[in-house]
Amino acid sequence: MQESQHEAQTLASLRDFFIAQDGAELEAAVGRLPEDLKSAVPAVPDWDAAEFDFNRFFVGPRILAAPPYASVYLSPEPQVMGEAALEARRIYAALGLQSPFDARLPDDHLSLELDALRIMQGVLSHTPSEPLKELRDCFVHEHLNVWVPLFARRVRMVAPEHTIIRFMADAVERCVESVAESKGRF
Amino acid sequence: MEKERKLMNSSLLNEMSRRSFVKLLTAGGAAAMLHGGLLTPKAFAGPAKTAGGCKAFHSACQRNCYDTCAMLSYVDDGVLKYVEGDKQSTFTNGGLCVKGYSYPRRVYSPDRIKYPMKQIGRGTGNWKRISWEEAIDSICDKILSIKKEDGHLLGLALDKNSGSEGITNCAVIQGLFTGLGYTTRFEGSNCWPAGYDAQYFDFGDMVCNDPEDLANAGYIILWGVNPAWTSIHTMKFIYAAKERGAKVVCIDPVLTQTAAKCDEYLAPKMGTDGALALGMARHILDLGLADRGWVADNALGFPEFEQYLREKVTVQWAAEETGIPAETIARIAEEFAKAKPATVWIGYGLQRHTNGGRAVRSIDALVAMTGNVGKKGGGARYGQEFTWDFEYWPKSKMSPPAGSIGFVNPAKQKPGEPTVYSNRSLNRNQAAREMRKADPKIRMLWVSCSNPMSQYPNRNEMEKMYRGLDMLVVVDQFFTQTAELADIVLPTTTQFEEWQVNVSYWHYWLAINEQCIEPLFEAKPNTVISALVSKRMNELSPGSCTYQQDLTPKECMIRNFNDTIHKLNGISSWEDLLKGPVKAKRNPVSWAEGKFKTPSGKYEFLSAKAAEYGHPALPEYHSRRPNHDKFVVLTPHTKFGLHSQFINLDWMRDFNPEPCVYINPNSARSKNIVSGDMVRVYNKFGEVAVKAQVTDNVPEDTLLMYEAWFKNEKFNVQNVLDDAVADMGAYQFGGHRGPAIQEQFANVEKM
Repeated sequence: MQESQHEAQTLASLRDFFIAQDGAELEAAVGRLPEDLKSAVPAVPDWDAAEFDFNRFFVGPRILAAPPYASVYLSPEPQVMGEAALEARRIYAALGLQSPFDARLPDDHLSLELDALRIMQGVLSHTPSEPLKELRDCFVHEHLNVWVPLFARRVRMVAPEHTIIRFMADAVERCVESVAESKGRF
Repeated sequence: MEKERKLMNSSLLNEMSRRSFVKLLTAGGAAAMLHGGLLTPKAFAGPAKTAGGCKAFHSACQRNCYDTCAMLSYVDDGVLKYVEGDKQSTFTNGGLCVKGYSYPRRVYSPDRIKYPMKQIGRGTGNWKRISWEEAIDSICDKILSIKKEDGHLLGLALDKNSGSEGITNCAVIQGLFTGLGYTTRFEGSNCWPAGYDAQYFDFGDMVCNDPEDLANAGYIILWGVNPAWTSIHTMKFIYAAKERGAKVVCIDPVLTQTAAKCDEYLAPKMGTDGALALGMARHILDLGLADRGWVADNALGFPEFEQYLREKVTVQWAAEETGIPAETIARIAEEFAKAKPATVWIGYGLQRHTNGGRAVRSIDALVAMTGNVGKKGGGARYGQEFTWDFEYWPKSKMSPPAGSIGFVNPAKQKPGEPTVYSNRSLNRNQAAREMRKADPKIRMLWVSCSNPMSQYPNRNEMEKMYRGLDMLVVVDQFFTQTAELADIVLPTTTQFEEWQVNVSYWHYWLAINEQCIEPLFEAKPNTVISALVSKRMNELSPGSCTYQQDLTPKECMIRNFNDTIHKLNGISSWEDLLKGPVKAKRNPVSWAEGKFKTPSGKYEFLSAKAAEYGHPALPEYHSRRPNHDKFVVLTPHTKFGLHSQFINLDWMRDFNPEPCVYINPNSARSKNIVSGDMVRVYNKFGEVAVKAQVTDNVPEDTLLMYEAWFKNEKFNVQNVLDDAVADMGAYQFGGHRGPAIQEQFANVEKM
C-alpha cells in the first residue's frame, strides 16, 4: 500500500474511533485500520466492555480520564472551548470547511482535527500547494503534535497495556508524530 | 500542561481562502475525500475572524443564595469569555463572589455531563451513550408500565430542589409531573422552614427589610449567619453601618470570618440561641427598656410574654444554659435596647435545630419588644418572598389527565363525597425514611436541580432506598454522587445556555438571564426536556400527558411575567429587563405600616396559630435534643461552594483542595490527634474518613466539617447525619418540618 494511502486509512480509522458512539462503531473503526496495524490490535473479548472503557476515558458521564479536546492540554488552565478550539475552527474555515456539530461539539475534538489533517494530506498528495503545506505544517507543529502526545500520555497513565484504548491512543500519537517528522514529504 | 503556547498565525489562516482550497480539491480530483468524513463544506468562509469584540449579555445567578447576583456575561465568537457583576444593581454593585467568577470554568469544564447516558447495572460505572430519543423512550416506557401495572402513578416520584433556581425551572419540572398525573413529590424545604413558620406565627408573613437598609442600623446582631462567606454583597452595607458608628455583634458557635470582622463575638452552646434571646429579653424588661408604646399599639400577647419571662427566665439561667457570662448577656441586651434602630439578621443555620423555630420566635420577640419592627435600619431579618409572584406557567394552569387516580388524604376526604385525589407529598428532610415506609412503594424517581446523595441526611439509608428503585433518572450538569446511582443521566444547560429570570429571597432586585451561548454538547434546558417527555408520552399513549409539547425556554420565561411582577417592579414588559436589572418598588422597611397578617392583625407574642400547630403560644424555650454521641457535629457552608456545586471546579480546588474536620486543640489532644492526621468521624449511622485540622475557631465540644462535594473523593458529611427534624415547618410547608441538620453528634478517632 502506498504510504499516503496507508496514512489516510490510518487517520480515517482513528478519526472514527475517537468519535464512536457505541461498541459496534468502535469495532468498525478498528476494522478499518490498514492490515499491518490491524494485525497488532490486542484482542477485544467484549466490545461492550470496550465501550464502557471508552466512555470512561473520552465521553462521560463521569470525570474524563483523558478528554479528547486540544483546549484541555493547550489552554493555560484545562477547559473545553479554549483558544485552541477557536483556532481549529479558523483552520477549518480557511479550508472552506466547518464542523457539522455546531456548538454541540467543540471544534478541537480529536476526531475533527484528524479529519482536517486527513483532508489536508489528501489534497497535498494530489496537488502540491505551498500555502496549504505551510498551513498543514503549522497545524501539526504548533497544534496537533503539541497536544496529542500529552493526550496519549494521559491515556497511558490510566489504561492498562494491551487494551484497545491504549493501542489507539499510541497509534494516534505515532501517526501525528510521523506526519510531523515527514515535513517536506509533501 | 501549563505552557504558554504561541497561537497560530492569523495571517497564515487568512491567506488560505475557501476559493483557493476548492480549486485544489477539484484540480486533484480529491473532492471525494470529503465523502465519509466529518468536516463539511462551509457555506461561506471569509477571512479568519479576529478576537476582541466581546458582546455583553445580562445574566442572573441561579444558585439560590442570598445574593442572587445580577451579572454581565461577555461572549466572543460564541464563547463565554468572562463574567462580572452588574453595577446597575446597587446590591450586586459590579462584583461577584469567588464562586461566581469561576462560572466560565463551570460552563467549559471537561467534566460536564455531555450526552444522555445509560448505566448498565446500577452503580457499576459502566455507561453507554444513548440518543435523546432512546433516553426519552426508556423513561416514557417505564412511566407507562408503572401506570399500567399499578393503575396510578404514585410509584413515580420527583425530587426537584433549588440547585438551579431559575423561575421557569420551578414551573416546567413540576409542571411535567402534573401533566403526567398524580405522582409522589419530595417537598418541604432543606433550608428555612422552622424559622419561616416562626415568622408567620409572629408577623403573619415573612418579609425582611431591604438588606441595603442595613446601612441605616444603629446596632446589628448577626445571629447564626456568616455573610462574609455566604452573602458577601451584604457586607458592604454592614460596613457602612459600622462607619456610621453602629456596633456589630456576631453570635455563632464557630469563630467565622464574619465574627472576625465584628466588634463583639458571642459563642453560645449549640442549640441555646432561644435561651440567649430570652435572657436578653428578661434583662430589657428589668431595665424598663421595652418599648411599651409600640407594643401596646402593635402587638398581641405582650403581658403574657412578660409574665413568662418574669416567671421562667433569668439572665443567670440564660448564662448557665448558653455558656455566655451573665454580664455579657446583660450588657448586649442593654446596648441592643438603647440603640435605635437595632436589627437582627437571623441566619438559617440557627433554626436547623429541634428547637430552632422557637429560637427564631424568641429573637423576633426581642426585636419586637424593643420597638425595632417596622423601622428603617431595624427589623428581625430572615427573608422575603414577595418578589416571587410570577405566573409559574405552565404548572399553575395545569391539571392531570382526566381519570387520573392519586393519593387520597383521609384527613380531607369527606365520606359520601366524590373522591378527591392529590399528589402524595413526602418530606425531603426525611427522604430515606419516607421512601422506606411509602405504600405504594416508589418505583421510579426523577431528580432535577438536586443532589440528594450529597445533601440529604442518613446517606447509608438513602443509598439503600435508591438502589431499590426500578429506575432513577438524574438531570444534571455534573456527575454527582446521585448521578453515580442513576440508570439514565440527562445533560442540562447552565444559565448561559438558556433564557431565565431570577429574583432573590433577600434583596429586592429582579434580573433577566439572556441566553448568551448555544448549549454545549447535547445539553438541554429543563423546559425542553419536559416538552420532549410530554410529546413522546402522547405519541405512545394519546392523552397521557397534559403538559405543553412544544415550548422554548424563552417563551416559557416570557409567559411567567404577569401584572403583579410588572407593577411591583415598575416595568411594562419583560423586555425592560434587557436594559438591566430593576428593583421592586416597595417600601424598603417591612411592616412600616404595622399591618401584620396574623389573625389579630398585630404582631403576636401570643400566637393561637402556633398553638394550633402544637407549639406553645408564646416563644417559650425548649432545650435541644440530648447528645447521642460525644461531640456536636456542625456542617455549615463553605465560601468555595454552594452545597455540592462549584467545589468540584479546578479554581475552587486551588483554594480548597480537600475536605477537613476542624477540631479544637483540647479535644484533639485528648484524642492524640494533630493537624494532618487522617481520622474517622463516626457514629451509629456511619462514618467519614477525613483529614484533621486543629483550630480553636471551633468549641471544645464540636467537630466541624464543611458540607461539600469534592470530585474524586468519597467524602460525604451525610454519612454521619441523621434525619431529625426541627420543631417547626409543618404550618407553611404542607406538614413537613424542617431539618435539624445542625444538631448532630459523632465521635472521632485517629485512623
